[in-house]
Amino acid sequence: MDEIRLLLVDDEISFLNPIAKRLKKRGYIAELATSGEEALSALEKRAADVVVLDVKMPGMNGIETLQQIKSKYPDTEVILLTGQASTQDGVEGIKSGAFDYLTKPIELEHLIGKIRQAYDKILHKEEKRKEAEFRSRLEQQMIATERLASLGTLATGVAHEINNPLAIIKESAGYMALLLTKKEMADFSHRKQFELAIGKIETAIERARRITHKLLGFVKKNESVFSEVNLRELIDETVQLVYREAANKDIEIVHNTGDQPFVIRSDPYQLRQVLINLLTNAIHATGSMGNITLSLEAANGMVVLTVKDTGVGIPRENLEKIFEPFFSTKSPGQGTGLGLFVTHNIIKKLGGTIDVESTVGKGTTFKIRLPEYYEMKPGISETDQENWFAKLKMNL
Amino acid sequence: MIKIPIRVMIVDDEEDFVEMLSLRLEEVGERMTKAYNGMQCLNLLEEKDHDVVILDIKMPGMDGIETLREIKKRFPLVEVIMLTGHGTTETAVEGMKLGAYDYLMKPADFEELQEKLHGARQKKEEQEERIRKAEARLLLRKSGDI
Ligand SMILES: Nc1ncnc2c1ncn2[C@@H]1O[C@H](COP(=O)(O)OP(=O)(O)O)[C@@H](O)[C@H]1O
Ligand SMILES: [Mg+2]
Repeated sequence: MDEIRLLLVDDEISFLNPIAKRLKKRGYIAELATSGEEALSALEKRAADVVVLDVKMPGMNGIETLQQIKSKYPDTEVILLTGQASTQDGVEGIKSGAFDYLTKPIELEHLIGKIRQAYDKILHKEEKRKEAEFRSRLEQQMIATERLASLGTLATGVAHEINNPLAIIKESAGYMALLLTKKEMADFSHRKQFELAIGKIETAIERARRITHKLLGFVKKNESVFSEVNLRELIDETVQLVYREAANKDIEIVHNTGDQPFVIRSDPYQLRQVLINLLTNAIHATGSMGNITLSLEAANGMVVLTVKDTGVGIPRENLEKIFEPFFSTKSPGQGTGLGLFVTHNIIKKLGGTIDVESTVGKGTTFKIRLPEYYEMKPGISETDQENWFAKLKMNL
Repeated sequence: MIKIPIRVMIVDDEEDFVEMLSLRLEEVGERMTKAYNGMQCLNLLEEKDHDVVILDIKMPGMDGIETLREIKKRFPLVEVIMLTGHGTTETAVEGMKLGAYDYLMKPADFEELQEKLHGARQKKEEQEERIRKAEARLLLRKSGDI
């Protein structure tokens, strides 16, 4: 049985004591107060679930006390005790928010019954509140995922549409470049300038093409190759790829991966892509003499891969945006804002989750959880929703 | 060395793309035909021999895969290079199963396109050569029978 926090208030101590004693025998521990004022200061020190309150008291009377209690502690339930001749007070009290009233002399069983009812009401209210909170959190999360999904659709649509005009620009520029190489162009006085300009167009096309291809990369279905992946080896290999960049900034990459092989069944190419994205981000964010720590742990059927840096951190207001396509705080040449978007999509597709924790000025930790064994399912939306549920329930 | 032009047909509903790619390929010596949809492509193939068709996968009306099927049915010797937008790589692979020579992602690299064009033409010529030889053998045997 939950401990009900109980407060008995009556000016007659000769009435309070025996009741408290009998309640105690039945397992209900009550605090006592002999006036309204005393009751309020007792509540200030320790909140109560149920207050049993005599209406007729010198000083602040029961109804007044009730009103004060209800306005300060709306979740506290109050049971009024009225004299035989003054049931009117009880009705008045209910109007002011009392749970119910009992007429003196009271029977212990009655009192306990009422206290239990009042407490049930509190529990019920609490449950409702939790449920509402859960639902609103769920809705928020759903909105966030849906937003991400629709942004994804939008982004890929845009990328697709852009590829066509891009192809036209590319062919046109290529054609002009070709014409410039012709004999009759040999003594065209502005030839160098034309070549320069066309060169710029071609570099820009290449850049745009990389963006659209990267953005659309994750859409390719069924192209995953699942095999046994030794994560420790994969990490070592991938670190080799970014090692120079880190060394140039005097960043140390620490392997906290133990010496056990971590073998899971997954897609090595996509996982490498994920690691590269996280590592380059970490390198960008970390100043010289910083650290990037990679760790691996196994936990009931899942493998946890952590990339932790001592970089600039991510401000709270950006935390929910970093997985959106095109969100970037970097200059256009440096960042596309696609790295984490693609990363998130890959991890989702591989049946895993990705979480981020960050403190501005201290650093950032990305945590990826991957199942040890996973076969790709067509369509992810349903399992996705279930995952949200599971995660939310754990958070509550 | 004299270059023998590849007879190329480019099929895409993006008219500007068709126009510019044709100009560019003509400039490097190929002989180009332009088509803007699958139907037109088939009609033009009917009219004149071609070596290679560059075929966009995503077109309104008769799409690239349908067109490819028809081409392979009616003009089995003509080689096809598919042009894919994104998310259509699978379709391109499907296309190769249906007999396309290869595929390229848009916007395609010009050198790569040229290489594929030459590869496709060579494959076609080798196939034609084998057919000629087989026909010759057939002829020989027939005349031997007499
Ligand atoms: N390890 C990190 N430390 C600090 N900020 C980060 C980190 N990783 C990502 N970010 C923030 O998230 C943004 C989005 O990252 P990403 O999707 O990889 O795109 P990009 O790196 O091209 O900007 C970055 O611009 C940066 O602001
Ligand atoms: Mg990045």
